[in-house]
Amino acid sequence: MKYPDNKGHFGVYGGRYISETLMPAILELEEFYKKIKNSKEFKDELRSYLKNYAGRPTPLYYAARLSKLYSSNIYLKREDLNHTGSHKLNNTLGQALLAVKMGKKRIIAETGAGQHGVATATVCALFNIECEVFMGIKDIERQKQNVLRMEVLGAKVTPVNAGSSTLKDAMNEAIRDWITNVRTTYYMIGTAAGMHPYPEMVRDFQSVIGKEVLKELKQIDKFPDILIACIGGGSNAIGLFYPFLKYKEVKMYGVEAGGFGLETGRHAASISGGKPGVLHGNKTYLLQDEDGRIKEAHSIAAGLDYPGVGPEHSFYADKKRIIYDTITDKEAIEAFRLLCRLEGIIPAIESSHAVAYLDKIKNEIKDKTVIINLSGRGDKDMETIAASISERNGKTVLQ
Amino acid sequence: MVNNINKIDELFANYKKAGKTVFIPFISIGDPDMETSFNIAKALISNGADMIELGYPFSDPMADGKVIQKSYERALKNRVTMADAFNFVARLKEISETPIIFFTYYNPIFAHNTSEFADGASAAGIDGVLVVDLPPEESCELKQFIDKKNIDQIFLLAPTSNMSRIKLITSYAKGFVYYVSVTGVTGARKSLPAEMRSKVEEIRNIKDIPVGIGFGISSPEQTEEIKNYADAIIIGSKIIQFIENNLNDKKNIIKSISEFSCSIKSSLM
Repeated sequence: MKYPDNKGHFGVYGGRYISETLMPAILELEEFYKKIKNSKEFKDELRSYLKNYAGRPTPLYYAARLSKLYSSNIYLKREDLNHTGSHKLNNTLGQALLAVKMGKKRIIAETGAGQHGVATATVCALFNIECEVFMGIKDIERQKQNVLRMEVLGAKVTPVNAGSSTLKDAMNEAIRDWITNVRTTYYMIGTAAGMHPYPEMVRDFQSVIGKEVLKELKQIDKFPDILIACIGGGSNAIGLFYPFLKYKEVKMYGVEAGGFGLETGRHAASISGGKPGVLHGNKTYLLQDEDGRIKEAHSIAAGLDYPGVGPEHSFYADKKRIIYDTITDKEAIEAFRLLCRLEGIIPAIESSHAVAYLDKIKNEIKDKTVIINLSGRGDKDMETIAASISERNGKTVLQ
Repeated sequence: MVNNINKIDELFANYKKAGKTVFIPFISIGDPDMETSFNIAKALISNGADMIELGYPFSDPMADGKVIQKSYERALKNRVTMADAFNFVARLKEISETPIIFFTYYNPIFAHNTSEFADGASAAGIDGVLVVDLPPEESCELKQFIDKKNIDQIFLLAPTSNMSRIKLITSYAKGFVYYVSVTGVTGARKSLPAEMRSKVEEIRNIKDIPVGIGFGISSPEQTEEIKNYADAIIIGSKIIQFIENNLNDKKNIIKSISEFSCSIKSSLM
């Protein structure tokens, strides 16, 4: 059985919970994507951009010092070396080619950490399309560098001051814009969530990650035992996991943002700390109160600070094919520092959650082949890290 | 007990015979507070409302413009629960037979439990349910329960709806079809698209079902024109604005909404 089914459902999850105004556009997109995705012309064109523009394949790097620390064989899939600094470009290149072929003149997107916003602004410059990115004011504040990057690339960044002023609210505003301008505008969703066909489409475009890992391991005659990736909406994770799902022996861990800790209620762990519901076009695990209102998420990582998750993850969580667990803000910062010093790699604070998980399963990974998806680079997070370091130093002084 | 004739169907049948257009104002339950919103509903009923659309506040109203977003935010500060909403409707039904449409997004219904929602809605006296993010493709989960209770599920059609969408939706629709006048979110607009009339005719050519028009309507001048081809007129944001503009003067909220409601009603005469 292939998922999603022809109505966009992953078991009970997914679907198309969306205002009727958007239904014709969604159905048109689905038809168009179905037609084009297996065409040789489209695949060749995308492959060419991924290679010559994005710089793929990204390396699979054997992290020797990290491996030694855990008596394990740890490989980092270096999505941080992808053009624009994260895996997000894999998806925006695919969707932009689609939008161009559909004749769309304007692209809108939501962004949290700004990585998807930058990747969208980049492809819009590349293909000469008008671009508007919606971003919560809280995220604008903590990811200033990415706002500047989007602006120099020619995108209009529209601040969203509603609700928690983060990714969820940016997505609400993008959907409102799309309802208004649906005839001319293409909505470029950045994660494997939202209404069908987005979860499927984003997964397909991101699956290049897992496919490359398979090839790269084959060249050195290896096969993975364990895969680890961080989960916000879950696009980098599903991109790594999807090509391996058929190998039952491969264990997969999706690491959600534990924020201040699950028990505090201040986190962004929709699967570990939420329950199924409907938001942004799909049925999936959500953080919500007993009246079905969506709760504010919290994570130090803007890219994980979202109260939902892609529907395919909800599906595999129930089936227990993928194990979902959490890492706190504090643990993520520790892992960030560890990777900087041991490997000379500054990871995104999002990806640091995946690195941090090594410590949680240190007994399990001994002598195993472990792949971590290093989904992005951490230059954008320097201010956040500086703040957390000075906070700690401040406490030391006080003590 | 299940009534055999749905009150919405009954009202449209009567108004059609009389050649009249139905006026449906929209308000949010709990805005600016529970008691005032109840008094607004009462005032609307005594000042011309033929049916009332009650919004159950949601944290992420993606199809709504600023005015209704803020209305929901005000209501959510008072933590309106589903039990409160059912109680609101039941109290209203004690004093009036005016049909009630319950308007919301799907998550609050799903979180409450869809089957229990249908039981509670029926017991309270809700006549129709409109869930803005529930197109026919995803509607069965709710439909199976509310059908049994003889509650109409109201569906939307939009300027973007093509022939196949109109066919699909009119085949699911009960009560009436809610035609969204503009491609956009809710909110009062000074001018409305000219294509409205031809679109309504297109819908009627496919199925003989009442068509209500909403989104953007804000003045008696507009309703005077629209009544010539619409079976119902829905006005929300314009009414909510009277609340927003008079937050410190609750008496004036009731007064201004009553006057506006009368002016719309007379434009439809």
